[in-house]
Amino acid sequence: MIRLFKVKEKQRELAENANGKPPIKKQSPGELRLHKDIGELNLPKTCNIAFPNGKDDLMNFEVTIRPDEGYYLGGNFVFTFSVSPIYPHEAPKVKCKTKVYHPNIDLEGNVCLNILREDWKPVLNINTIIYGLFHLFTQPNYEDPLNHEAAAVLRDNPKLFESNVRRAMAGGYVGQSFFTRCM
Amino acid sequence: MADFVAPPSRSRDLDKLLLRTGNLVGSNFEPGAELRDDLQEYARILVVGAGGLGCELLKDLALSGFKNIDVIDMDRIEVTNLNRQFLFRVEDVGKPKAEVAAKRVMERVSGVNIVPHFCRIEDKEIPFYNDFNIIVLGLDSIEARSYINSVACSFLEYDSDDKPREETIKPMVDGGTEGFKGHARVIMPGVTPCFECTIWLFPPQVKFPLCTLAETPRTAAHCIEYAHLIKWDEVHSGKAFDPDDPEHMKWVYDEAIKRAELFGIPGVTYSLTQGVVKNIIPAIASTNAIISAACALETLKIASGCSKTLANYLTYNGVAGLHIKVTEFVKDKDCLVCGPGVLIELDASVTLEKFINLLEDHPKLLLSKASVSHRGKNLYMQAPPVLEEMTRSNLSLPLYELMDKVAKDTIHVTGTTSKDGKKTSCLRKLRVVFKAIDGVTDMDTAGGA
Amino acid sequence: MAEPKIKYDRQLRIWGEQGQAALEKASICLLNCGPTGSETLKNLVLGGIGSITVIDGSKVVLGDLGNNFMLDESCVGESKAKSVCAFLQELNDAVKAKFIEEYPETLIKTNPSFFSQFTLVVATQLVEDSMVKLDKICREANVILIFARSYGLTGLVRISVKEHTVIESKPDHFLDDLRLNNPWPELRKFAETIDINVQDPVAHKHTPYVVVLLKVAEEWAKSHQGSLPSTREEKREFKELLKSKTIAFDEDNYKEAVEASFKVFSSRGISQDLQQIIDDSQAEVSSSSSNYWVMVAALKDFIASEGCAEAPLDGSIPDMTSSTEHYVNLQKIYQAKAEADFLSIEQRVRNILKKLGREPDSISKATIKSFCRNARKLKVCRYRLIEDEFSNPSITELQKYLTDEDYSVAVGFYILLRAADRFAANYNCFPGEFEGPLDEDISRLKTTAVGVLSDLGCNGLTVTEDLINEMCRFGAAELHAVAAFIGGIASQEVIKLITKQFVPMSGTFIFNGIDHKSQLLSL
Repeated sequence: MIRLFKVKEKQRELAENANGKPPIKKQSPGELRLHKDIGELNLPKTCNIAFPNGKDDLMNFEVTIRPDEGYYLGGNFVFTFSVSPIYPHEAPKVKCKTKVYHPNIDLEGNVCLNILREDWKPVLNINTIIYGLFHLFTQPNYEDPLNHEAAAVLRDNPKLFESNVRRAMAGGYVGQSFFTRCM
Repeated sequence: MADFVAPPSRSRDLDKLLLRTGNLVGSNFEPGAELRDDLQEYARILVVGAGGLGCELLKDLALSGFKNIDVIDMDRIEVTNLNRQFLFRVEDVGKPKAEVAAKRVMERVSGVNIVPHFCRIEDKEIPFYNDFNIIVLGLDSIEARSYINSVACSFLEYDSDDKPREETIKPMVDGGTEGFKGHARVIMPGVTPCFECTIWLFPPQVKFPLCTLAETPRTAAHCIEYAHLIKWDEVHSGKAFDPDDPEHMKWVYDEAIKRAELFGIPGVTYSLTQGVVKNIIPAIASTNAIISAACALETLKIASGCSKTLANYLTYNGVAGLHIKVTEFVKDKDCLVCGPGVLIELDASVTLEKFINLLEDHPKLLLSKASVSHRGKNLYMQAPPVLEEMTRSNLSLPLYELMDKVAKDTIHVTGTTSKDGKKTSCLRKLRVVFKAIDGVTDMDTAGGA
Repeated sequence: MAEPKIKYDRQLRIWGEQGQAALEKASICLLNCGPTGSETLKNLVLGGIGSITVIDGSKVVLGDLGNNFMLDESCVGESKAKSVCAFLQELNDAVKAKFIEEYPETLIKTNPSFFSQFTLVVATQLVEDSMVKLDKICREANVILIFARSYGLTGLVRISVKEHTVIESKPDHFLDDLRLNNPWPELRKFAETIDINVQDPVAHKHTPYVVVLLKVAEEWAKSHQGSLPSTREEKREFKELLKSKTIAFDEDNYKEAVEASFKVFSSRGISQDLQQIIDDSQAEVSSSSSNYWVMVAALKDFIASEGCAEAPLDGSIPDMTSSTEHYVNLQKIYQAKAEADFLSIEQRVRNILKKLGREPDSISKATIKSFCRNARKLKVCRYRLIEDEFSNPSITELQKYLTDEDYSVAVGFYILLRAADRFAANYNCFPGEFEGPLDEDISRLKTTAVGVLSDLGCNGLTVTEDLINEMCRFGAAELHAVAAFIGGIASQEVIKLITKQFVPMSGTFIFNGIDHKSQLLSL
């Protein structure tokens, strides 16, 4: 290809003084795919999405879940999503911003949802994840706990669990942990 | 300008390949002294990464007839580099890799000019990359490869028959190693598969379920990841974990040991802790040498045509015996990064709304409910409502204006299409050309405005 | 960690402290320090090889600067061995670097005993005649030898040593040994203590698949006259039976059990490869047998008697969905059996040593333990004498290669490399080595190649014109990128041979720099 290189190099030298094109923003493959996921979102009424950095940054967004049944009815739970430029080769990073008393979400906001880690596949999408998160609130499970205490209470004493959840959502202490109001 | 003219005998060995006619050579091979001199004067090579592969690549390229080489790397030299990154010495620890590597090679190979860039690859403007004829990648991350690939592919232009324009092809040569294994590949955007076409070649990283870490740890790695991913946040609320801070690492190691003792799990060591937390890939000099040499040889062949080019993916495995395999992967014709996309000609007056309606009837697309994005700007989003609202006002504006009055450019659309009577969602690349504007802009460019 | 260890961290993760210690003890001799030799040593010096001795009789000329990174302007006119040695020393001061300004061919001729002081000799850019002589010398002295040669866009690497035995072959993927098709009493007993039909869903989904499979296999055997599933239909039924035991859709342990069910069906006993090793004549040990073969003899006896046709258990289990408690207990059961097998083998090793009149404790516990852990992965590599390969190659293989499209270029280069040496012996230069028209050299090389082929007993077969032309065009050039590739391969093999880990290549590696379809030829 040396002939082409030679032609190009000569052009380049000529163009040295000419104005360059304006800086171009590159769209990563992850952004393109995410654009599709977002454009096709089909969220239940109980879920809301927001883009804190405006319409042109889809890679960082927040999803608010307001369960309409179950233990967490009436609560507002905010999750932050951070999507990698090589999405969907890699799963988005999801954290729960709202401190919640939940067997599958720890007090630091880590979420135990298989499709966020070990079972992530590129065919899955943002919609699947949001449904998965929603599901955690309608059917919290004590079998795969991240918050060990909450899981034990759910298993052994669902009534107490229910009242603990209400107390946490209303703002107050459960055991040693303080929860801010999220209703 | 190459002021230095090498005495002929210095290229004694290379001359045999560059000055003599051959039978098994590239289609454009024109042997002769001019070829050798042109390689020195006109070929500009960018080496991305000055680590294990990068050091070898710089040496190999400098001794393969190239004189204009740039190298870009954001890292500084560490002690653990010294078992293979042969351009660095103990006293260099802490200095920028790109700068030291460039200096060392120039000291030993006279006449070669290596320009170091001590920065992130994203810090450079896109046109920076267009100044090079071939980009050689010596990287260890998928993200960086993906980035360079999309930059190199962004220079690619197709003609009206969807054939790539040869002068816009930015060849890439990519190497990678892990222990006794490695790969070398040649990417000719538009001709051979790009990095994105075959991203599935990279196995996904193993991630343990968080609840396993929290509740049923079984291995030493589980204990380490518990300390790293869960316990750290619990104890250091808000303070980010820094894998390069030895105190942080020691803390994770101590916590992992405690947890392993609690559960009766053997095998936590400091070395394993570092390995798991930093996802350390074992690396040795010999594999890097093999893979880099293959990459440098392919770079020489692409530039000079002095032999056939690798088609297009080589794997090396020296774990059990020696296995070298060449696989010819095929392009994904619909690849969003290197594919031609669908060519659409429009009047400058067409509004975004009208454009979206046009897509529905376009025979190659039949795309309904399209969302449209252009260079990272979302022009219109069908969903979710919050974005639809934010972008709705664009519908009545001419697309030409929304695209910053560029005569031709790539945009991406997503929506639903009917395939065999079934509705499927899809994401397509479009090459939009505005009819009346085309000639005007060409004249502008020719005038050097 | 002390600094040297930090420096070697990325390689210690591959070959460990023991591998590193072996490297640091090794002394390497390099013959000819052109780029192929220099690059080979560079990779070894960086890794901390014990000592190097560079042997080259030539002086540096300007042309050498164009392909060898270890030389610069100041070296022109100096001894090449001295210059290269000095630069290599710069790379790692822990390495003892020496040089001798002498032509290897002279040493081979006049001082054959010189080579016996080394662990390994890397012989680069030697022609056929010297290769054959050196090979005999090293074979006699039991010194490992590697030939490496770069020649235009081709080249070769060839190991020569009578026998190389490997305990830690460290394969990438190797099937674990869980004995699900042949459980021992303690494992059965352990499984009996666990109720896989437990009602508690948490306990149910945390029962390790090993236990699930053992139990379900037992259940199956009871209803099938004691036999395990063997037909395709039975295997399918067995998997259905597994699935019927699940109580929730997301039980990972049952998914793992279905995926691993083949471990229940697979045949008992040792692999073909291991059978071949214990059947090797070397396993009939004598007082001069190596420790490796003494241990193989013990292994053979173990398999025939106490092991009931199985190799000793390695004692490791893969990670699997399980409660911590079950997993840790299961691990202990496997480890206990591995320890018992080890003790039994150790006893046999001591007895054999005693019988051979050797010190019973002369093989360390650690070595025997490592041997037991890797018993299923043992490897033995043997290499023909170069002279035997050259004068009496496997004709069937050769004919196969010559007619196989995937091999034709590589075997063509093999023939042409030999023809080039013969050419050089006749005409005092390599084909195309000097400037001028190539036509005469091409026709001479062609005649020589036909001669080589007919001497090998391949009359009528020939090498393509294209390849002969290319070979003349190469003119014995040593291109840096090719030398770095060949040197890289050579150093990789040196590491495997010295650490006695992983498996070195077999046969002759022929580099094909045209389309990279390089091949290993077993001739």
